[in-house]
Amino acid sequence: MSTIKIFLCENSIDGIFTAVYVAWSSGYGHSNVKIEEECEDHSYSNMELFSDYITVKTDYDLAMKVSRSIKNKISEEVYQIVCRVALSNHIGKADLIYRFLIRGFQIGSGIMEHLSEEVVSTVFKINRYVSYEAHHFLGFVRFSKQESGLLTSVIHPKNNVLSLISSHFADRLSNEKFVIYDENRKTASVHIPGRPWFIVQISDYNVNLFEDISCEEDEYQDLWKTFFDSIAIKERTNPKLQRNNLPLRFRGDMTEFKP
Amino acid sequence: MVIQENMSLQRKLEILSDAAKYDVACTSSGVDRKGSQGSMGNSVACGICHSFSADGRCISLLKILFTNECIFDCKYCINRSSNDIVRASFTPQEVCELTMEFYKRNYIEGLFLSSGILVSPNYTMELILETIRLLREVHRFNGYIHCKAIPGADPVLIETLGWYTDRMSVNLELPTAESLKELAPHKNRKNILKPIRQIQLRREHNKEFIGITDNTVSSPKMITGREDNDIKEIVTTKTSLVPYQKPVGINRRYVPAGQSTQIIIGATKETDYQIMSVSQALYDNFDLKRVFYSAFMNINQDNRLPATTQGPPLLREHRLYQADWLLRFYGFHTNELLDEKNPNFNVLLDPKCDWALRHLDLFPVEVNKADYYTLLRVPGIGTNSARRIIMARKSAVLDFKDLKRLGIVLKRAVYFITCNGRTMYPIKIDENFITRQLLSIKDRLPFGIDKDITYQQLSLFDDVNFQINPSQAMKIANI
Ligand code: SF4
Repeated sequence: MSTIKIFLCENSIDGIFTAVYVAWSSGYGHSNVKIEEECEDHSYSNMELFSDYITVKTDYDLAMKVSRSIKNKISEEVYQIVCRVALSNHIGKADLIYRFLIRGFQIGSGIMEHLSEEVVSTVFKINRYVSYEAHHFLGFVRFSKQESGLLTSVIHPKNNVLSLISSHFADRLSNEKFVIYDENRKTASVHIPGRPWFIVQISDYNVNLFEDISCEEDEYQDLWKTFFDSIAIKERTNPKLQRNNLPLRFRGDMTEFKP
Repeated sequence: MVIQENMSLQRKLEILSDAAKYDVACTSSGVDRKGSQGSMGNSVACGICHSFSADGRCISLLKILFTNECIFDCKYCINRSSNDIVRASFTPQEVCELTMEFYKRNYIEGLFLSSGILVSPNYTMELILETIRLLREVHRFNGYIHCKAIPGADPVLIETLGWYTDRMSVNLELPTAESLKELAPHKNRKNILKPIRQIQLRREHNKEFIGITDNTVSSPKMITGREDNDIKEIVTTKTSLVPYQKPVGINRRYVPAGQSTQIIIGATKETDYQIMSVSQALYDNFDLKRVFYSAFMNINQDNRLPATTQGPPLLREHRLYQADWLLRFYGFHTNELLDEKNPNFNVLLDPKCDWALRHLDLFPVEVNKADYYTLLRVPGIGTNSARRIIMARKSAVLDFKDLKRLGIVLKRAVYFITCNGRTMYPIKIDENFITRQLLSIKDRLPFGIDKDITYQQLSLFDDVNFQINPSQAMKIANI
């Protein structure tokens, strides 16, 4: 038995897709390869003793080829599902995507119907989990207005949802300049009116960007807190239900829960 | 009446949101609309919750009254004219400012504007119309707007307003004409149903129709034994349609997210059967999107009304919502759930379990064969579970292990289904046995109704239908 070849890749959609391409075309055979994504702290989760490690450098052209094949040979919908899985915090997602795509290319557009297969149901669940979190953030993101007119927001999502939520805000606030900063991953999405939004890596948290709050900002934050308190029906106070619907982890970044 | 001059915006907001909080409708769902250059806002059909208040309810819209002054004296209402409370009114500009600034900060999905009746229904409706017009035309607000239509206002005003809003609602308030007369002496049930009908007809004739009389007279769909004369009269009378008032430059459909209404429960003596029959008639005849139920609270300490010292009847409200869900999405009819002999829902079991126990002859059903609506009738199987089963069985013959892998909760379902002709345990279908089993499973009730029960308001839909498309623009640039 030959040793397992493990392809190490960057923790991004393009990184994972590149590794899928490289592993697939390596000629070792599906059962002799594994893909492992970098952890968010840029380490790898569990190095195995008796394996060969091959580091894969992200190559956008190869990643593009994989995207195109998924869209053409499976479906656009499955492509989006795979992207969401690639953005999840699931450890081992790269190899899961690899195994899922093996089945996907065999079966084609009906792959999601094979829910009784383990890889399909795992992909299904992770996709749902990421979609839920992204959907939550569409509502829970809070912007503050800076003196310059820039709207800024800080979030701490579990999954890398930034790219999933930014189109929504760019569409909604098409005339506004805004930045949504994912502090866990040190990345931000930036929107400038009339241009497509983009994602940037912020190595050092640029404090100035976020701390020049405009004077009217305080006033609107207070108005919002007033509304938030008075809209609750006191006779029906129900902290458990509130916590169930709006878990504590979101509240740190939400205006109405700040002192 | 205390009217304060020069009240701060903060104080007005406090009073007018406090006065609006009893209205339970706060969804922003039902319409998908992209943003457009030069305006602010878009709309997402599944709705977005922006926060959850201390009572656990979703905050999606800036829910306020335009004014809490009111010339009417509805006994159940905090704003009734006989109450001695602080009164306040917004100006149209103030409402616009709050909406725009809140929306920009992503606090809200849009505006829900209701109002007490200032001077007259027409006077109030004009102020509301002015506000919404300003918001759409001057501030170019493209987000969600839900507006109350004031019963008794000129139909032309209602017609015009509908072109600017996404959803409109007229509250039925109480299930029957008699109760309404008793508790809301200035209101009249036909006056409430008329604008509902008007909006429905305009929605149906959306663009083209510019005639004067509408000849479509529907034959009322009624539940046997439960004639509702008002509803019957309204749907069988030829309605004069008001002239088509679509404002220039407004490029949207008429009330695209449809209508909803609200019924207060527990203030008057109607049974659940009577209430659900009214809902059924509203869904069937008026194309309503939602009926909301609001557990009565005797906030005015009025001794002509039931005392609610034990708290509002939340469990009853919960059962009505469960049943309402069965009507809207599960293909049930009120008559299947309740009748004259069983006019109220079972306190211990949810309406679907209760129904299934009374129809054991229809069970067990075979999950590999049963159609969608049959699966939906199985206790514990919701729309998503049913859809998933149908999808998965295309490629495999399902057994109980597969169902678990699909994330289907078998606790209740197990007594009502077979996989491949076999039940999970050798169970004999005996009503007493199953009832005991079902009762031993904790009912997922809202927190606060009962202790130590985990519950999600969404318990009936086991997951929600939303997905966000990852954008192509995913490459990360470094700066
Ligand atoms: S008309 Fe409306 S605001 Fe006025 S008392 Fe009746 S329910 Fe209250």
